[in-house]
Amino acid sequence: MKRAINRVAVTGLGVCSAIGSGLDLFSAGLKSGKSNFSTTQISPREHGSFRITASINDCSWPDWLEFFRERNPLLVSRARKIFNNAPDSARISARSAMEALLHRGMDGGFHQSESTGIIVAGSNLHQEFCALNQVKFQTNSGSINPRYALNFWDTHQVGCLTELFGVGGMSYTLGGASASGNVALVQAFESIRSGSLESCLVLGSSPELSALEFHALDVMGAVSPEARPEFANRACRPFDRDHQGFVFGQGGAAIFLENLEVAKERGAALLAELAGGAVVMSGNHLSNASLKPEVRAMTRALAASGQNPESVDYVNAHGTSTPMGDAIECQAVHEVFGGHAKNIWINSTKSLTGHCLGASSLLELVACVVQMNDGFLHPNLNLENPIDSELRFVGSKSVPVSVQTIMSNAFGFGGFNSSVVIRKLEN
Amino acid sequence: MGLHKINPESNAMPLSLEQIFETVRANVQKVLFDVDPSLITMDVSLTDLGANSIDRVEVAMYSMEDLKVNVPRQQLAAVENLRGLVDLLHKNSA
Repeated sequence: MKRAINRVAVTGLGVCSAIGSGLDLFSAGLKSGKSNFSTTQISPREHGSFRITASINDCSWPDWLEFFRERNPLLVSRARKIFNNAPDSARISARSAMEALLHRGMDGGFHQSESTGIIVAGSNLHQEFCALNQVKFQTNSGSINPRYALNFWDTHQVGCLTELFGVGGMSYTLGGASASGNVALVQAFESIRSGSLESCLVLGSSPELSALEFHALDVMGAVSPEARPEFANRACRPFDRDHQGFVFGQGGAAIFLENLEVAKERGAALLAELAGGAVVMSGNHLSNASLKPEVRAMTRALAASGQNPESVDYVNAHGTSTPMGDAIECQAVHEVFGGHAKNIWINSTKSLTGHCLGASSLLELVACVVQMNDGFLHPNLNLENPIDSELRFVGSKSVPVSVQTIMSNAFGFGGFNSSVVIRKLEN
Repeated sequence: MGLHKINPESNAMPLSLEQIFETVRANVQKVLFDVDPSLITMDVSLTDLGANSIDRVEVAMYSMEDLKVNVPRQQLAAVENLRGLVDLLHKNSA
């Protein structure tokens, strides 16, 4: 029996971010080079718990529900019930997913179809929720949120979303550290390509970290030590000489992937093609970046997409603003693309949105599709002294550029190296 | 994992059935936010109002917290309607 090799289209997008929630606001934010970093109080109130982060502050769950109510009141009514008392991360996931599915066009849901699945990318999504209940439990033994037994699991998001949308196909959470989004996209791609699924919603939101995790990341030197409120918008500076570590960003994104032929048949708007991707492990339990595996991931992604290096005109970098990570990614770009490297536009969406950890490469995929279809590339904020003068970084303002073939990278603690390739589709 | 016995001196005055029911009613509305308030009576069961098993636990737990009363889990299992819950809360508040 001949093995199916299906092409995979992006037919729905949803996003929440510090620079705007909803595709229009997000796109406008990218284009205008908006950023929204501020000092945030991370509970509990000890250990100097003010951090610079990029937070979603333009909306709230009730406002989001109200926004979608007109489009689909039944869906909103179900969402309200299912996500009552849910952790914030779950609600951000839900908002992103609802937007993507309404964008894709859905009537009453998938009616438990087994041809559609959901992948929630990321892990340790509810740390802050757990920390709050831990405090409650210890100060008043036995007293906890009654739903804790359900809500603390990452998989609670899968349960909630499969119920909300009536999904019956293979669904799960997927952990890949800060590369979770890309790893999930590759998994979804393989499922649709092989025919085991017809479509897949890939989504995720940044894990809600507690003060303990923020402190631990700080102690390890992974986050920017910048704490002055007046410098909040200057702390996140990917590829800049003065980069000192990543800055956390709150965000969520959802991408609806579909068998291209099926999408065409139902007259769907084809937003982009997910042409392929790859995940390569460094064999390293630590947090440092490694050149060779990054090169291998990018090279394999090109091969999997049937693309030559010369066809890539834009790389959405992982670009976290960490000294070693940024430097190694630059070297990897040189190695993979050789003489062509200097022709490729490069930016890092994290300079605007912050680092959304497991969800980052999903927000970045949305950013890639939006930029490709709207004909611009967003700026690299705070890139005043690039660490590599040969690479073609977008400057402090957006550029009007039309790109056809995009590579988006994501690397994660524990030696995850991933890359996906997106191509323009003519409708 | 038993619940600790509440120090009886923590309740300044004995609670009336009406007071307990008001607390329970408020919590039913909190947990089942789209339920018609006029349907919440002593003789109705939470299941009839559309509550699932975890909704019932929530109503009981929030009421216990508000009233500073502890009802052992095994006793809660036998509750069939709001009157039963109110009676148990009353019994354990003494």
